[in-house]
Amino acid sequence: MAARRPGSTAPRSWLLLLAAFALLWAPPPARALRFDLESGHTKCISDEIKVNAMAVGKYHVVGPDPNFPDAQLPESHRISLRVTSPYGNSMHYAENVQSGHFAFTATEAGDYLACFWAPDHKPPVTVVFEFDWRSGVSAKDWPSVAKKGKVDMMALELKKLGETIKDIQEEMFYLREREEEMQNLNRKTNSRMAWLGFLTLGICLSVAGLQLWHLKTFFERKKLL
Amino acid sequence: MARWRTAALLAVALAAVLAAAWRAEALSVTVTDTECVHEFVPYEGDTVSGNFVVVDHDIFWSSDHPGIDLTVTSPGGNTVHTLKGKSGDKFEFKAPRGGMYKFCFHNPYGAPETVSFYIHVGHIPNEHNLAKDEHLDPINVKIAELKEALESVTAEQKYLKARDARHRHTNESTRRRVMLYTMAEYLAFMAASALQVVYIRRLFSKNVAYNRV
Repeated sequence: MAARRPGSTAPRSWLLLLAAFALLWAPPPARALRFDLESGHTKCISDEIKVNAMAVGKYHVVGPDPNFPDAQLPESHRISLRVTSPYGNSMHYAENVQSGHFAFTATEAGDYLACFWAPDHKPPVTVVFEFDWRSGVSAKDWPSVAKKGKVDMMALELKKLGETIKDIQEEMFYLREREEEMQNLNRKTNSRMAWLGFLTLGICLSVAGLQLWHLKTFFERKKLL
Repeated sequence: MARWRTAALLAVALAAVLAAAWRAEALSVTVTDTECVHEFVPYEGDTVSGNFVVVDHDIFWSSDHPGIDLTVTSPGGNTVHTLKGKSGDKFEFKAPRGGMYKFCFHNPYGAPETVSFYIHVGHIPNEHNLAKDEHLDPINVKIAELKEALESVTAEQKYLKARDARHRHTNESTRRRVMLYTMAEYLAFMAASALQVVYIRRLFSKNVAYNRV
């Protein structure tokens, strides 16, 4: 979908593009989720990522007062992070840092766990950190795609929408598959319960019969019957 | 959500319009007592939508467990939205002002529950912005609306996926319990029957007092 607009060398549109890129490159003020973490505690956040999907994450400790975001961060406010895959492999590990980032391509589908913990501190403080975790479409580096293809803003947005739609379609297929799996599971459970019902009846009758037969022979042996 | 308070270039307005909120991640946290998540809402009037689903840890007593509560607090301290005793729901509200909103999940019972949630902040430039800046193309508004519509589809999908995961969890647990209880039932049968036989044999054995001749 990347098209080179003819006459894009006009200074005005270049300025436009330049400003747009500058703004996109500027760190977005708050696209992340903010969490509170008490010192000595752990907070785990998990996300389900599909196979071969890109995942990027950025985290940094922020000042506790949202009204003064530029206040000086105390040195003691540090966090540690470990990102683990569903099978237990550690994808990223950082200890006692104030900020960091990670990126990986998911080789296993499932729940990826990002666990934060703050070292013990006396007196106990609450560390506030921002965590921005994206996977799939939103993990793609759109500014660089725009720069590479020299596309204008609108085409870039439409491209993003196109990718989102593809993602939605894939997700629909995935949901359909899961629903079918669940239906199969339910059907199997249903037939298994029916089978087990008959088995219960069989076991009841056979145990009762065995009991009767055993007692009969017992009494006949004892010459009581 | 770009910094559009800088000098008003057309590109600023354009970029601001087209960079209308892009949050799209469903995350899960384990709620033991209270877990709070903060999300920044840049403009007043933005539509904040989202959903959450409780994936039960402890399913056995799920009929007794009332669910968890969600409270949304505005930056001014007012409660904007409340949901009580739900095991999963969607929510949507218009932000009365811009700032840092707090989404708190509260678990009334001690058993930790895993909550999968998704929050999306959507901004569509309105007529006022259009009138202010004559270079702002109406098509950008349409694109922003389209983007919001797609975001709502994505949100719905994430909700359905989380619910599907919970149903699957429940079904697998049911299956396991059926097998377990049936096997325990059989063992109980056989044990009871064996005990009965042993008891009756003992009644007629020579060692018992009233049988001794």
